[in-house]
Amino acid sequence: MVSVEGLTKVYKQKGKPEVKALNGISLSIEKGEVVGLLGPNGAGKTTTIKCLCGLIIPTSGKILIDGVDTVKNPQWGMGKISAVLEGNRNIYWRLTPKENLSFFAGMMGISRRKRREYVEELLHIFQLKDKEKSQARYLSRGMQQKLALACSLVKGTEILLLDEPTLGLDVESSYEMRQLIKSLVADAGKTVFLSSHDMKVVEDLCQRVIIINNGKVITDDTVKGLQQLFKVSSYRFNLEGELPVQARYQIKREFGLCKIGRDGANARIDVELKSAERFYDLVEILKRHCCPVRSIDHKEPDFEEIFLKIVRGKK
Amino acid sequence: MKKLILLKTMFMREWLELKRYPFNLLSGLIALYLIFLVVFVGYRALGAGSPKFGNTLDGIVVGFMMWTFSISAYSTLSWELMNEARMGTLEQLYMTPLGFDWVCIFRVISSFFLNLLFVLPILALMMITTGRYLHIDFLSITPLLTLSLAGVYGIGFVMGGLALVFKQIQAFFQIIQFIFIFLIALPISKQPLFKAFPLALGSNLIQKVMVDKSSILLLSPEDLLILLVNSAFYFWVGFWLFKHFLRVARKKGLLGHY
Repeated sequence: MVSVEGLTKVYKQKGKPEVKALNGISLSIEKGEVVGLLGPNGAGKTTTIKCLCGLIIPTSGKILIDGVDTVKNPQWGMGKISAVLEGNRNIYWRLTPKENLSFFAGMMGISRRKRREYVEELLHIFQLKDKEKSQARYLSRGMQQKLALACSLVKGTEILLLDEPTLGLDVESSYEMRQLIKSLVADAGKTVFLSSHDMKVVEDLCQRVIIINNGKVITDDTVKGLQQLFKVSSYRFNLEGELPVQARYQIKREFGLCKIGRDGANARIDVELKSAERFYDLVEILKRHCCPVRSIDHKEPDFEEIFLKIVRGKK
Repeated sequence: MKKLILLKTMFMREWLELKRYPFNLLSGLIALYLIFLVVFVGYRALGAGSPKFGNTLDGIVVGFMMWTFSISAYSTLSWELMNEARMGTLEQLYMTPLGFDWVCIFRVISSFFLNLLFVLPILALMMITTGRYLHIDFLSITPLLTLSLAGVYGIGFVMGGLALVFKQIQAFFQIIQFIFIFLIALPISKQPLFKAFPLALGSNLIQKVMVDKSSILLLSPEDLLILLVNSAFYFWVGFWLFKHFLRVARKKGLLGHY
């Protein structure tokens, strides 16, 4: 449905070194997919999204939507894509939700009669009916962001681009927003491409994740695939008393990346194990050196850790 | 049909915003009237007793009306674009599949008609204050005013394009509003070449209708043709430059920045 090939954006300023915001980005999004775009600040997420919207002209590369190159034909692309670019800043604050929705529907050339039905439906879906006559500036941030999303939906396009859709929302509003996006995909068949810094949002919503850094794609995999790739289990062994020196050397030698510390008079080992068998190897060493274990804590890495490891180039 | 809906939508929004900012509208009207009072009182103090006092006063009223229209015509689009960028809605407007060019053109058309609501009360107040009641022939004035302002809207498009790229261009506005006074007052009867400037000929022809009680049918066809060509030229050059600046803004990734 969407295919990006070798997208490059270079900013040149007189007397300053050129800035490569995008350095040959290639990606694809299939119909009905929810794809997350992740990357640290300045990685090129917003530039990628704005190029897809036709708001920025790339230096080189192709953006194909249903096979049509939208860099050459931006107007065509605009009929295929809707976007929420800055959270709650895409709406008119002095207009009510109803007026905002009606205005953006009018911008699409939708007739007044159709518009009325459509606006009513969206007010209902987004639970804004009670506030339909309040000016947007008096709504909560969560409601404003819901309204911004609803305004982008009046275009009725299949592809939805969301730049930080939950930015600045509290836990409840963020959850509501995620549920809304899920229902848009499940019920309305939307294809969603979203950028976010909130790993929970990405983990919860996306089937696939594209991670970019310094304007390049560094990972393109399913969320499950990434979790599998980084499937290491972290354990903390809390010991009774000191860890003998010989045991310390052996653990360091065999387990490399492990931390041996102290918790008062007792020793503590933090270790990442790549397979279940290694767990027993460690227990065996402790047994051989007569180190009683008081307790063992276990944790699986979360998506945030996976992201950090990829960006820092640990895999 | 879709374009007509877009035009109606632009009117609707313009009207709603006008209703939501009543103080802005009222204070604008009062400020303009006060400026006129200063001009009027100053002229009365200096020109009283002159045999041409009445006629010149009529000219001042018409000139002031043209100036009011012109300031609004050239600044509306750029103010709006800067405002939309600040609110974060400019990118949404740009993304309409009906075309951003049309959004801007319709925005300008709707502002022209809403400006009438703004300027007509000022004109009435000026006539009451001076006691000089001008010849209001709408059938003659409307096409002349539309053509005269088309050129000014062309300048407005250039300013809009500059606002997209450079963002802060307010200082430029102030310079241009004084240039308009000069253009409106150009003595084209003494130097026909002045007809090539925007606004100069149109303003002169409107003076003929409103002050000399003429009609569009009695004006020189040659002058009307020059006005038409002049307005079309400035409008399209302005619009072309606007599109150029829009492309520059998209290339530099500036669309939507504020």
